[in-house]
This record gives sequence, structure tokens and C-alpha cells, in this order.
Amino acid sequence: MEKIINDFTINIATANGTGSQSANLILLNALFRMGTHASGKNLFPSNIAGLPTWYIVRVSDHGYQAPGDNTHIQVVMNIDTWNDDIADLKPGTVLIHNTDVKAPVNRDDLIVYPVPMTSMARKINPKLSKMVANMIYVGVMAEMLEIPQNILEEAISKQFGGKEKAIEINSQASLAGREYFKNDLEKKDNYFVEKRDGNNDQFLIDGNEAVALGCIYGGINMLSWYPITPSSSLAESIDKYIPKLRLDKDGKSTCAVIQAEDELAAVGMVLGAGWAGARGMTCTSGPGISLMSELIGLAYYAEVPSVIWDVTRVGPSTGLPTRTQQGDISMLYEASHGDTQHIVLIPGNVDECFEFGWKAFDYAEKYQTMVFGFTDLDLGMNLWVSNGFEYPNKPMNRGKVLRTKEELEKIENYGRYRDVDGDGIPYRTLPGSGLEPIVSRGTGRDEDGVYSEKASVYRTNMDRLRKKIEGSRTDLPQPILREEKEHDLGIIYYGSMENTIQEIDDILESTGMKVSQCRVRALPLSPEIDEFVRRHEKIIVLEVNRDGQMYGILRKEIATELVPKLYSVAFSDGLPPKAVEYAEAIIGTLESFEI
Amino acid sequence: MAKVNKINLPLDDYKGGKSTLCPGCGHDAISSVIMKAAWENSITPDGIAKMSGIGCSSKTPAYFLSQSHGFNTAHGRMPSVTTGANMANKNLNFLAVSGDGDTASIGVGQFIHAIRRNLNMLYIVENNGVYGLTKGQYSATAEEGSQKRKSAPNELKQIDLCAMAINLGCSFVARSFSGSRKQLTALIRAGMSHRGMAVIDVISPCVTFNNNEESYKSLQYVKNNNEELHGLDYIPHFNPIEEVEIPSGGYKEVKLHDGSYLRLETISEEHDVGDRMMALNAINNAEEKDKHVTGLLYFQEGIPTLDETENLVDTPLSELSEDMLRPPKETLEELLTSFRS
Repeated sequence: MEKIINDFTINIATANGTGSQSANLILLNALFRMGTHASGKNLFPSNIAGLPTWYIVRVSDHGYQAPGDNTHIQVVMNIDTWNDDIADLKPGTVLIHNTDVKAPVNRDDLIVYPVPMTSMARKINPKLSKMVANMIYVGVMAEMLEIPQNILEEAISKQFGGKEKAIEINSQASLAGREYFKNDLEKKDNYFVEKRDGNNDQFLIDGNEAVALGCIYGGINMLSWYPITPSSSLAESIDKYIPKLRLDKDGKSTCAVIQAEDELAAVGMVLGAGWAGARGMTCTSGPGISLMSELIGLAYYAEVPSVIWDVTRVGPSTGLPTRTQQGDISMLYEASHGDTQHIVLIPGNVDECFEFGWKAFDYAEKYQTMVFGFTDLDLGMNLWVSNGFEYPNKPMNRGKVLRTKEELEKIENYGRYRDVDGDGIPYRTLPGSGLEPIVSRGTGRDEDGVYSEKASVYRTNMDRLRKKIEGSRTDLPQPILREEKEHDLGIIYYGSMENTIQEIDDILESTGMKVSQCRVRALPLSPEIDEFVRRHEKIIVLEVNRDGQMYGILRKEIATELVPKLYSVAFSDGLPPKAVEYAEAIIGTLESFEI
Repeated sequence: MAKVNKINLPLDDYKGGKSTLCPGCGHDAISSVIMKAAWENSITPDGIAKMSGIGCSSKTPAYFLSQSHGFNTAHGRMPSVTTGANMANKNLNFLAVSGDGDTASIGVGQFIHAIRRNLNMLYIVENNGVYGLTKGQYSATAEEGSQKRKSAPNELKQIDLCAMAINLGCSFVARSFSGSRKQLTALIRAGMSHRGMAVIDVISPCVTFNNNEESYKSLQYVKNNNEELHGLDYIPHFNPIEEVEIPSGGYKEVKLHDGSYLRLETISEEHDVGDRMMALNAINNAEEKDKHVTGLLYFQEGIPTLDETENLVDTPLSELSEDMLRPPKETLEELLTSFRS
């Protein structure tokens, strides 16, 4: 039988709250240390303990990061999903099951490795046997896949960072698993992991931590937040790094962190900080954005620099709170009532999460407006490969703030809302300065900031606001283009779809198609996207939501004659996108329109 | 030459734009006291930040202190916006004006949490028991049985903002009346001198919708049913206290954070402002008789303010330079090395 090396998917079915997460992360980290490409996805319920959870590990020398379309190695620990998990397996799949669960395996077409994991764990540590059992399957798989013990030990040490007792127990358990496979089982499968010369500069990190670090290096002064999955770990990461990176020599902080009473207050604090001249931010998910909408409009209209990171989850309402979706993009772009338009930064990988994390503050202060960061649960909470973050390559852009009388006097005909420079961006002064004070407000006001309900004044101001945001189109992160010379078909996509696109592209190309790609990285759209569409015969807009939200934005914004070229491929089931499903949907769409 | 204060500014420097409220509105009387209080306390207008929510009262920051920056935010959201601004610049003197709809209904959560965090601000509620800008609906501070113009009596119990603030541990809680100029001036001046959250609930009759004799918040009703806890005198820190005339009756002094004093002169029986239960009793007793108790209800010094709890650097965050905000390059390299290990 031919060996299958570094190209398979592992699915580990456990119950929430049994401590499987650290065992799974150790396995992922060990695979990563083997130099092959490994990515892990945690499919977890909205629950603290008891409900089923799956961890999916994709190992791929191609660098594919999407969960594979098939499971090759299945671990079952959870009685509740036992039958379904086993029934769904294709013939020939490896099944590693905990015999102490005492549930049947009624399949004779699988490669079955029965392991008494709980009783083995009990011998190592009776009190913690439920948790330790998880390390037994890691040990079994390490032996089965030929991952050396020293690599596994490195991963265990990394996971438990200096906690000697935990390291010892987990190491023992992994060895027990290994010994059991060696002595009591016979390898009948053909899956192997081989060491590759991996890039030593790479490491694993989740998107939320990457954004958090970006914010820390972006000079964040105030984080206000209300707990909501999947954004809470972003806030907690910022809080974690402040003592390390943002204290002065006396141990005093340059960044306040406030857990707000709700999202209404969280965004209010952001506006207050921005109005008073500091860098304020909150992070949330879709339901929080809904609550924040009124003040988002105020930030736009009163021109208050503000940053909100939206780590999206499945809606509407609570939807599937622990699952992923690109569900908020159209809401973010036009959040609030009346005419609004917001800058949205859309990183596609963890390195960009860091970069856009610090850039968001520069854009917010430069354009004196609300800036959103947009990620999703998949990018935010799962571990991804980073190539290393780049230190900000330019000084902070604090925007047109006049801090002294001298600076103010240089501006001819100053007015808080006057377009002095012709770019739609006015100058501002800060409270405490005594320079040209006004009452900032959401009601109509003229160029000097004086209350006005005059029709022409309102309209002129709104036109200026549009001009201001329009000016950002070429200044925001521009799309990443990968073009084929044939120009038959282009795919426009964004955000975490970046992790699946290469595999989709390979599948499509295997059918003979030549496919170009354009990854949108910000709203409002860059004019380069119009040109990309113009150069191609037809365009697929690919996204993880039901309604084709980016497709809608494109239809509205690109040149009218280009609109007929656009086709939407969009669906969402709460799971991270699988390459085959999307590739088939693209082919199906092209066929159904006979294009 | 116009009379100037200790920092050589005339009262005109504390004035604002023309009011657009109804003639005779209690809020305008309060605005005039605010200007006078800030002037008499010799506070630099530059250093004041005027904050408000939405409603008649929240419009007033445009009518006083035009040399101060202000933010007329959204309905019920003034406390959170003030929180953010306070974190950005802890040196600002936050002077906030809100109403009963803004504070007791839509913004009641933010009011509660601002108190809980002990924001360093003066929070004035201009309380008239009705929604003025939407033409006279009852608010949550209207008393049960009180009756506004052309309307059936209010059926629900009132929310007493002072009792709520005291229960939440607010460090300075007072009630006053827009028609009691002397008392209100002393309280606002003291509120400006206090470090931490000062809440002053000012009954401020709505001359248009709630000034009939059946209303418990009409001008005449409040005049007739105002039970003052004490006579009040404010002695600023720049006036030596020994030069101030000693009252003939009993009195007590409360020393404020900036060195000023609030002198409480006994009227009938002595009110101990440090006694939370006594304060709540005073409110309760007045309520039972459909009266309004006014004066400094509760005071406590030394509770840490949010900027202290947050352990912020001495310089306001809004004034920090880039080298204080962006950690040096080596720190990122060290982090990446640890990630890679």
C-alpha cells in the first residue's frame, strides 16, 4: 500500500469542557514542528461543558488550510455524537475510539484502533483521568503517524509554559498512548507524517491575538468592550499585553481598559476618547454592531475618529454564536441611519490582522471617522500560520489636529467643518485646548460648527463627507491580484476565504479552467477592482453568507456596464468554507448561466 | 471695567449662545447659575468639557461657556462618552447636563455605571418630570399622582435619582431647585470642587407642559413644598476661611478636594451628610408627604476615581507622543522570537 504522507484530515470528537483543547493544540503544534503545513479548527457549541465539540486538523504539504472535505482519521471520545460520527465515515477511514466509553462500533469497513483511554489515564492520574485521556489519543496518533517523541515533548512544554507538573503528566500520557499502539495494536493504515524543512520564521497565532498586538503597536489609548463570542479574546489579549508593552517607567498605563455595561456604552466610550484626542477602540460581533448603530452614525457625522473591530459570527440575532460567517459586511459599510459610509479594513490572514490593527487608528484619525476592522470567528479564534509581523513602517498619522495657537493661526478661514484643503477633511481642535471650541453634535450645523437646519448647509456638508470618504479609496489597503493571462474568469473574494482560495483554485484548474483572483482588502472599494472586472470575461464573487453581501456592494459601486459580468457564489452553514463545496458551486453557477 | 474673577476674566467670558428654550424655562435659570458658578470658582473655561445627551436640558451647553468645548452626544449616552473622554484627558473638568428622560429612562444604565466607576465629573440633572422636546409625555421621575397639563394623573411610581445614586455609592449627591438660586449656586460650586462623581438633581419646572398646580414639579408647588435640609454657603479655596463670617446658629463644614468648603447651616435639625441611611430617610420622608427635600444629601471623600483605578500615566493620554504610545521595535522582535520557540 502506498504511503500517504502529510496529506490528510484528522477529526477529533469530544465533549466541551473535558480539557481536549490543550491536547488538540499540542497535536497541532507537534505537526507544525514537523515542518509540514497544519491548521486546526475548533468547532464548538455555545456551551461551557457537556455539548459536543470537534477539532479538525488539516495536514497538507500544499499549504491547504481549509478543513478537508473528507475525514481520514477520526477520534471518537463522546458518546453523544458517537453513532453519527462513525456512520458518516467513508470506508477505509481510520477510527481511534475510547473503549471505556463502552459504545459499539458497527462498521467492518474501517481501520479500527480501540484504546482504553480512560483506564490508561486513571493509572497516570486518577483525579484528572478525563483530561489526561485526551493526551492518550495524541500519543497513539504520534506513534501511528511516526511523529518523534522529542517533537511532541516540545509541543507539550510550549503548551504548558513552565508548569512542570502538567508537562510531566501529559508527557507520561502521550508515552502511554505510544506504547499501547506499539505493543497492543498493529498499524494497518498508511498515513504518515514526514519532517519537512519548514520555515523557521513561522509560528501559529490566532487572528484576535494578532489584531490585539496590532492595536498595542498602533498606540491604542482606550479599549472599551462588552464580552461577546468570538471577539472577547481580542479584548483579553490587549489587556494581557498592556503590562508588558504599555506601561511607563513608573508602571503607569498609557492605555485604559474598561469592561463596559453593554455595547451602547462601549461605543460611547470610543467616541468620547476619539473626540478628546485619544485612540479609542472597541471590539464586538454582529449583535454588538446592531446595538452600536446609533453612535456609529454620530461618529460619522460629528467626525469623531473611532475604531471598532467586528469579529463576525453567524446571525441573525444570536444565530449560531460560536460558528463562523462573513455576515456583517454590508451592515458595517452603511451602519446607522441616514446617509453613512464607513471605512472597513478586511484582513485575510493573521499578518494582515496585525498590520490593519495598527493602521485602523491612523485611518480613523486621518479621515476623522469610524473605521471598522472586519474578521470572523474562523480567522479570529483559530490558529493560523504567521510569517512574522512587520513593525509599523511609518510614524503614526494623527490627522489634522491643531494643538497650538500657532498651528491654528496658519489655517486660513478655520471652521471645524470647513473644507480648507479641498480633500473634504476638515481640521479639528481638542477639548482642553481652548482653541476655537464648538459644541460637537449630531444635529445640523454649519461649517463653523454652529447649529443650523438650513437645507443647503446640510446638503453641502453631506456632500463633503462623501468626498472625504471617497478620497480613501486609493489610500486604503489595495486589493491583492493574482491574474492569469487568459482573463476568462476572475474570483473576487475577501477576508478568511484567503485560507481556502488556493485549494479552490487548484480544483478549478484541474478541470482546465484558468482563474484569476482579486482579494478585496478594504471598503470603499479600490478603483483597481473596476479594472480587474473590466479585464475579465466573467467574475465570480465568492463569500461565506447567504445573500452575497459583497456582490451587492460591487453591483452598486462598479461601473454600470460591468455589472452583468458579476455572478454571486455565496452560502453559509456556520462552518469554515470547504474548498470542494465552493469549487463545485462555482462550476454549477457557471453552468446554470451557461457562461 | 467689568468685574473680573481671580483669573482676571469677566463673567462675559463664561457666557454662551442665546437660549432657544421656552421663555421662563427652569433650565435657563440653571444655565445662568452654571456660568456664575464657574466664573466665581475662577475655573479656566478652556479646561471645561461640557457634556450632554439629548433633550431640552441637553441643548443648554450651547447656551453657556462658549469658550469651552462641548459634546451634545446621543440620547442617554452622555455618561459613556464622558467616560471615554475622561480616559483620554483626565485633566478636563467635566460639566455634564442631562434631563430626566435622558438619565432616568433611556440612559439609566449608563448613569448607574458612571456612578459605579466614580467618574470625575459633575452630573447635573435638570428634572422636570416630562419629555419637553417630544411635547410633554411623562418621564420616569414624575411622581405617582402628579398631574401634568391637560392629562390624567401619572399612575406609576417615580424613580428617585438621588436615592438611586446614594444606593450606588455616589460620593456627592444633592437635590436642588432652579428657583433656589443661592442654594443651587453653592451646590454647583461645590460639585465643581469635588473630585469624583457629583450628582445634582435639580427640579426645573417645565413652563409649557408641567407647570399647572396639580403637578408636583410646577414652580409654585416646589416653592411651597421645598424642605431645605440646611442653609448652604460655599467658601472657595482662595478665600481664607477664617475671614468668612461665622453664622449665628449651628453649622458644619464639608471640606472639598480643592480646599474649598461647603458650609451647612442647621435649619431645624442637623443632617449628617456622611450618613447614608439618614440621607435615604430624608428622601423617603419627604416623598411620603409629597414634598421635595433639597440640599446636600450625601457626601463621602476619598473614593478612587476611574482614572486612578485605571492607573493612567500623569500626562493626559491625548497628549502623549508616539514614543510613549508605540513600543520600540526590539519588543516586537522579542515577542516574535518567543512565538517561534
